[in-house]
Amino acid sequence: MRVWSSEHVFGHPWDTVIKAAMRKYPNPMNPSVVGVDVLERSVDSRGRLHSHRLLSTEWGLPGLVRAILGTSRTLTYIREHSIVDPVGKKMELCSTNITLTNWVSVSERLVYTPHPEDPGRTVLTQEAVITVKGISLGSYLESLMANTISSNAKKVVSNS
Amino acid sequence: MNSVGEACTDMKREYDQCFSRWFAEKFLKGDCSGDPCTDLFKRYQQCVQKAIKEKEIPIEGLEFMGHGKEKPESSS
Repeated sequence: MRVWSSEHVFGHPWDTVIKAAMRKYPNPMNPSVVGVDVLERSVDSRGRLHSHRLLSTEWGLPGLVRAILGTSRTLTYIREHSIVDPVGKKMELCSTNITLTNWVSVSERLVYTPHPEDPGRTVLTQEAVITVKGISLGSYLESLMANTISSNAKKVVSNS
Repeated sequence: MNSVGEACTDMKREYDQCFSRWFAEKFLKGDCSGDPCTDLFKRYQQCVQKAIKEKEIPIEGLEFMGHGKEKPESSS
């Protein structure tokens, strides 16, 4: 199991960052997301917006890795649940893969809140847990995925 | 950005534009009234559900209740 986490501060207020985050895909810095669909959307009794989205991603695993895993599939599907609280100014996203679950589990959680000392800035905390199951190259593949997530996050950060 | 169902992409973009406008101009400013995107969402959803079934994408535990207000808090 590999756990990766990071924190980043955006130089913009929470509302601005959230509007951009809801349009995060397409994001040219994260080309592995190739499709996004909203499956369900509603406002709960506390006035928070819940969205359930389906993302299709192209992990771009090296050919050798795909051969070892015995999969010719290159598309992976991810389910994401996000909650936007406009009064409390908090946006939380949780996502997990729903295909290839026999051999890998990738769960991500992102939370956007105003910077506690400066309302003109926004804090993003991001964490991912990656578990590769049942094969001896588990640790290697986990590092590969953690590095992909980390470098994608750095691209988002450097672009913001 | 495309839809998972190729035929749904245009409907998706139309819905996304409606949603983005409502989200920025109403929801984030505390106005939850009059969601203008319900019909667009319904059409878009019918297309996406069909694509998900055809591609056998394993969506579990999700009722396609569409676009609503005052829905009970999700427990997932």
